[in-house]
Parts: sequence; C-alpha cells; structure tokens
Amino acid sequence: MSTIDRTLIDELGGILGDGGIVSRATELKVYECDGWTVEKSVPDVLLMPRSTSQLSAVLAALHRRGIAFVPRGAGTGLSGGCLPLNAPAMICTSKMNRIVEIDLDNRRVVAESGVVNLHVTNAVKSKGFFYAPDPSSQVACTIGGNIAENSGGPHTLKYGVTTNHVLALELVLPDGEVVELGDHTEERCGYDLTGAVVGAEGTTGIVARATLKLMREPENHRTLLAAFPDADTATRAVSMIIGSGIVPAALEMMDQLIIRAVEEAFKVGLPLDAGAVLIIELEGLEAGLTTCADEVAQIVSAAGASSVRLARDEAERALLWKARKRAFGAVGRLAPNYATQDGVVPRTCLPQILRVIADVSRRCDLRIGNVFHAGDGNLHPIVLYDERDPNQVRRAIEAGREILKACIEMGGSLTGEHGIGVEKIGEMALMFSPDDLRVMTELRHVFDPFERSNPGKVIPQPGACVEVAAPRRQVPI
Amino acid sequence: MRRGCRATPPGADLIAAEIVAASTSSNLANRLESILGSGRVRAPSFTEARAADTIVEPASVDEICELVRMCEADRIALAPIGAARSIAGIRRSPVALGISMSRLARIVAHEPHDMTVVAESGITVGALNNAMAPARQRLPVDPCNPAMTTLGSLICAAHAGPLRLSEGTSRDLLIGVRFVGHGGKLVRGGGRVVKNVAGYDLMKLMGGSFGTLGIVIEATFKVRPIPPEYCLAIVPFALAADAFAAAYILNDALPLSNLEILSPALATRINFTGPFPFLLLAGFSGSPLEIGYQAERVRDLLIAQGEILDGGAALEKYELLRDIDFHSYPLSAQIAVPPAHLAGVLQSCGAEFRAHAGSGVAQIFSADEQSAEGATRIVARWREAAHSARGNLRLLAAAPAIRDSLEFFDTPNDGALKLMRRLKTAFDPAGIFNPACFVGGI
Repeated sequence: MSTIDRTLIDELGGILGDGGIVSRATELKVYECDGWTVEKSVPDVLLMPRSTSQLSAVLAALHRRGIAFVPRGAGTGLSGGCLPLNAPAMICTSKMNRIVEIDLDNRRVVAESGVVNLHVTNAVKSKGFFYAPDPSSQVACTIGGNIAENSGGPHTLKYGVTTNHVLALELVLPDGEVVELGDHTEERCGYDLTGAVVGAEGTTGIVARATLKLMREPENHRTLLAAFPDADTATRAVSMIIGSGIVPAALEMMDQLIIRAVEEAFKVGLPLDAGAVLIIELEGLEAGLTTCADEVAQIVSAAGASSVRLARDEAERALLWKARKRAFGAVGRLAPNYATQDGVVPRTCLPQILRVIADVSRRCDLRIGNVFHAGDGNLHPIVLYDERDPNQVRRAIEAGREILKACIEMGGSLTGEHGIGVEKIGEMALMFSPDDLRVMTELRHVFDPFERSNPGKVIPQPGACVEVAAPRRQVPI
Repeated sequence: MRRGCRATPPGADLIAAEIVAASTSSNLANRLESILGSGRVRAPSFTEARAADTIVEPASVDEICELVRMCEADRIALAPIGAARSIAGIRRSPVALGISMSRLARIVAHEPHDMTVVAESGITVGALNNAMAPARQRLPVDPCNPAMTTLGSLICAAHAGPLRLSEGTSRDLLIGVRFVGHGGKLVRGGGRVVKNVAGYDLMKLMGGSFGTLGIVIEATFKVRPIPPEYCLAIVPFALAADAFAAAYILNDALPLSNLEILSPALATRINFTGPFPFLLLAGFSGSPLEIGYQAERVRDLLIAQGEILDGGAALEKYELLRDIDFHSYPLSAQIAVPPAHLAGVLQSCGAEFRAHAGSGVAQIFSADEQSAEGATRIVARWREAAHSARGNLRLLAAAPAIRDSLEFFDTPNDGALKLMRRLKTAFDPAGIFNPACFVGGI
C-alpha cells in the first residue's frame, strides 16, 4: 500500500492552505475512533477541505498515488464507520459547513456535507419548517455523516430516515471527479444513484453537498409519558398502539436502568419505581389530537400502564425529549464505559428480544440498559462495562454479538440507523448470502473500483487491520 | 437479439404449442418447455406484443433463475412484465422473451401489528390492498388502475398517484426486495423490518429501473392504516394560475392527502361539468373531528365556489382522478419540477395536464395524432420547459407511428450517465435485461 510522504503532504498543503491539514501524531490521536470506542486506528494525515474544488483536488492527488482515505463528519457515529482501516488519509468535512441555498417555496435546502444536522432546522424553523431526520446526536452530527449512515432518530417513525429526505447529491468520486446525482424534483432521471449513495457508509466517495427536503411543522403536538411495571408490558403496549391504527410521530421506550440514570442527570420527574416508560408523541391537526391522545391513554392503560401523564406545555415536552435524546450521556454515570447496539426486530417481537437481552445480561454478567425507538422495533441496548478489565471488554463485545444474532433470528436487522461500520461487519454474513454480498460489492465498484473510499467497511473482506484496544472515550451524546 | 412475430391479435387464445411455433424457433421453444413444462409458453397479447415476442409464465423462483441463465448463455433479451404496459410503453421493439410474473402473485406475509407486508411481485396493488383491507391497512401507493398494476411494475416503472403527496411513493415504502440478477442468482436487499441500514440499498436501484438490472421477485413494503374518513374538495377555476395559487395556499395550511389540478379536457374526463374549466381537487382524511376542521378551513380558504364530497361520492371521484390512463393517449409524458415552478412550466408546455400540485409532478398529453416531426417539436418544447425549471421529463406513451423519433428519457449529465452505464454493465454483463430502451440507450 502506498504511504503519505513529504512530497504529498506539501502538495496537499498547497491545495488546502493554512489550517487544512493535520499531520502531527499528537493532534491526530483525537481522530483514532468515533463513538464506537472499542477499536482504534490513527490516520497518517487529516485533511480538511473547505470546498468541493478542494475536496476534488485532494481526492485526485490521493488517487494518483493509489492512497485510500476515510471520510469523517463530526465523529459521532456509533459503529466505527470512520475508523481508518488501511486508509492513511482521513478527510474531515467539518469545514464544508455552509448552507448554500434555502428555497422555502419548494421546501428545499442545499447544504454542504459538514453542516450540522440541527443547523438546518434552526435555519428554517422561524418560517415553520424543519428537517425531519433527528438523530440523538443532532446537535453535533453532520449532514454528510447522516447521509453516509442513513441516520434516523425518534421521529422517523412518522417521517422516515435520511434517504426519504435527500433529493440530490454532489458527490466527489474516489478519483476526484465531481458528479451530480438527482435533481431538485421528486422524480429521477435514470437509476436512483442518490438512493444508492445514501447509507453506503462513505464507500462510494465523499458527498460534498446535498439537496434536502423540508417538512412543514405540524399544527400541534401531544406528548404522553406512560409508566409500566416492567419492560415486557410496555412493549406489548407498543404493539397495541400500532395495531389500533394510530401511528404516533415518535414512540420511545426507556427501561428502569435508563430511567434512573436520566432522572439523576436531568430531574425530569420520571417515575423511579417504573420498570419502563414510553414517550408517545402524537402530532397533527389540533382538532383531532385531544381525542387521539385520550385513545392512546386508554390503550396503554388497558395494556397495563400504571400511570399516564400528558406534557402540560412545550417546556415539559422539551424536557422529556432532552431526557430521551441525552439518555446516552446520562448512562456515563452508571459505568466507566458502555457500548450501544442498534439491532432491529419486527415490532411484535419486542417482548421476546427484551427477554433475550435480559438473559444475555445475566450470562455475560454485565448490566444492559435499554433506551430505544420502540415504534420502529429499533433497539439500543447499552452494554455497561469497565475498560480496565479486559475480560469485561471481551464479554461486552460478546453480549452485543449475541443480541444482534437474536435480532436476525427474529427476522430483524443488524442495524437500524448506526450502520455496519467495523462493529458489525463480522455479522453481515448472518443476514446476507454470498450472492447478496457479491452484488453489493459490484455496486461499490461502480463508484469505487479500487476500494479506496473507506476500505474495509460494510462488506466483510479479509485482511482488514484493526487495533482492538481498551476503549477510552465515552460515546458522544 | 431474437425477433419473432410482433402482432398477435388481441385476446388470442390459441393453443400454446401453435403460438410457440409461430413466434419462436422450435429450438428455443423446446428449451423453454424443458424449463417450464408445457402450457406456460405462449404468444403475447396485443399489449404484450409491444414488449415481447414470446411470453413465459414461470411459477417459481428457480424457474426464473434457470431462464436467466439460459438467456445469458444464448444472449436472448428478456423483460419482466406484469400487464406489460410499462415495458411496452418504452420499447421501440419487443424483446425476445417476456417473463410474466402472473404465477408469482402470493402474499407471503402480512403482519398488521408490524405494519409490513411481503408479497411476490406478480400480485397487483389492488389485490394486495383487498387482502389487507380487513385489517384496515393498505399499501398507500395509488397508480392508475391498481387492479392492473403489479408490484413489480409499481417498483420498476416508479408508478405513483395522487396519494404521493401524503404517503410518498414506492421509493419511500419499499424496505426489502428479492430479485434474480445476472448468473441467475437470487439476491436480497433490505429486510422485513421498517428500519434497516444493513448493506447497500438495493431497493433504490430496482426503483424506476424498468427491469434493466434484474427481475424483482418479491417485495416488502411498509403499509399504513386506512384513514377513517376521506373527503374531496372540488373547486373550479377560470384560470390555471388561480387554481395553482389556491393549491399552494391549501398545501401550506393543511396536511392534505392529495392535491391535484386538472386541465379542461381532464376535468371533463372525471365527469365534471361546471362553470370554469380548470379543476382543483384537494383530498383530506382523518377522524370525524379532523375532517370537520379541514372542511371548514377549505371552505374559508377557497370561498364558496366549490363543493366538498364525502363518503362514497368522494371515493368515486378520487378513483376517477387516480385512474386517468395517460398510456392511452398518442403522446403523453410525466414532468417533474420543484413544486413552485409547476404552474409556469405547464403553461409553457401548453398541454392538457393532471398536476400533483404539492409534489411538483404532472402528467401531460397531446390528444391529437401527430406526425413524427410534430411530436418531436412538442416533446422538445415540453423538455425545454421542464429543464428550464431544473426539472426532468420522461415520456409515458407514444403512438407507434411516432415513437421511433422520440427519446423516452432525459439523458442524465455525463458523470451520472457514466456511473449508470457502469452499473448496467456490472449488474447485467450479458446485456439481456430489457436492453437498449432506458436512459442513454442502456
């Protein structure tokens, strides 16, 4: 494999100018992992282009020398998607952070890939619009990272995930060529390459900018907090709500371990004696909301809820969501380290999978908390461990794998929104046949015939070199 | 590519063996029968004849895999067909072999509490929705004539209808797919859960691909509850511009189910005879309280010149709106632009139209028989109008006399087209899947 020498550093420095390149080992250490802290690898050089033309020139320079690269947004990913594997160069899009065009008449925004997710909504909310995908890390994560991972969030139950909100992309191919995919319309000319790039985890090149759809703010919300004696009862209530024909905007669950951590951190007033709570958000026309909220309250009560509380005002609603979205941060109080999983099961299998998780917790002798998108069947079991004990690290990884295996056996998926990255690449063969993986490789080669854009991700292959080390950082919120 | 007879009379119900003899070489017929057995190789119907010379009706995935392997070995062009309207609509000449999906039409699993359905691609949208109706759920994609539109066609020809405004299109709802690709290999993308980012999104590649990358066998969709009630406001306008202005106000004010504007000829087609020629149709749904509120808002916003239908009357009119068949015109197209530009673009086109006003998509047509030169001029004008608004256009139908002179698809930019050609080569190295009729001659 080619390496980065002084001549190349000088060439890249000439392209990027002051502050666009980092090559000191001490500074590069910060970029050794993302939110998946179990595995680490330090890049040889960090490149921070400010424009599409700089990005293109950088990739062309790397291409001429046959050097692989890994794209990175804010580093909030949870599957090791931006871990350098046989990729000496890391390209960070954080300086490509301009919102290029806001077109409210057409409900479109054009944003560079380094724009922070929440900044898109912040730019349009005064006019009554928002950008729907809302991952818990939305205060930090970037549009480019969201596109790479096809990110979701609590409100994707109603609005769908990132791919449902991306119309067009400016993509820089691994050889530096800039291509425009899609346009500002809802129909496509030819193959839907935009759809193929979203969720490809940066293996098809680097997105420079994206045309995003905006949504109109709903007329109003109702946010309910339902407490249950145990997680099993809470998840059965989820199926009863969905089965009644009501589709909430969000339907989230926290179990007792998480409730206590969150309550200690944020003082939201969560019932500490509850075995689990559901946050149920309904939205739409004010005319129907009260009736609908009453109906949901009746359903969850009939399902065994011990109490149901309606958020009194916007402040209480915001507090509930703050608690939910920062739950991962609150977990830091419970153990020195934790690893978040992202399996998916059919909604009706939630009670079974929670029993499996409890069993895994017992067998691996590790505490596992659950805070997740119950309405989508998208689990986020949080495995607590102490990195100073190698045996615990090993058991934590084993616990995660067992849970994912059970998800697959129930007809689910390895990942609902965090991506495969390096974390789950070993499990891809559980879900996909060799023929499936071969075709996916063929698709990857359409964009990246030499596998230089984020090598070693998504599709399992031999020869990936990763240092599996004791984790040091906490997962960002 | 093999070519046989192209013009079997409509409704022909001949003995399969005779048809095979007329439409294919005996060698091919024998090999097809060796894979499928007798009785499942036939001549095409009138519509099918524009898509394929010979029709086969495989009854299993294994048979399709075997057919693909045979066609690759002998370089025989094939295309998957449902009712054959989509493939017939875009081909200048038929492929040798049409793979009818009519015998692969089972519902594999409908899980009401998961709000998902898995079904084989030969089932029609109408049949699927009939089966899910007792659970008060539906696949909320509403192509023209759902009883004729198979899931394969829905996906591969990217059909959609008025509900695209509120429910999206099959692109938004398709969460898993199985298809037979090159080498006769069965390939799976996605899964059966509503949220899933494992592996590349092969569903997106199948969407709108017109069968050029493989044969979709099975699809998994998210489904939605059927709303308790539906109403349809119908408001006539003297000027299209005023109808669009009203539509944009409504779309901003209410979460409508659908929002269409019809030009005069189509207003007549849905049996409307009113004082003004342009018709705005705004559908809204929900609980009785939500319906009552929305009806009041619609009346406030649109003064008192229209009417609001409910119950069966609303559904009947909605179905007329949905089922306008743009494949039946001598020249028709679908245009897509950013929504706020749609009114201006349609004015520049100067054609009759059904506009999905909130989505920026419209179907347009010319009802007159055209010469090849005339059709070329018309399509050039339509394309120029679409492109001037950063939009795109594809033809939906063109009469046989003019189709050879027309490009059905816009040509993507050079960079995108290069990737599309690579994709086609990677997924179809033998070049057998519905060749030479897609963008850029793919």
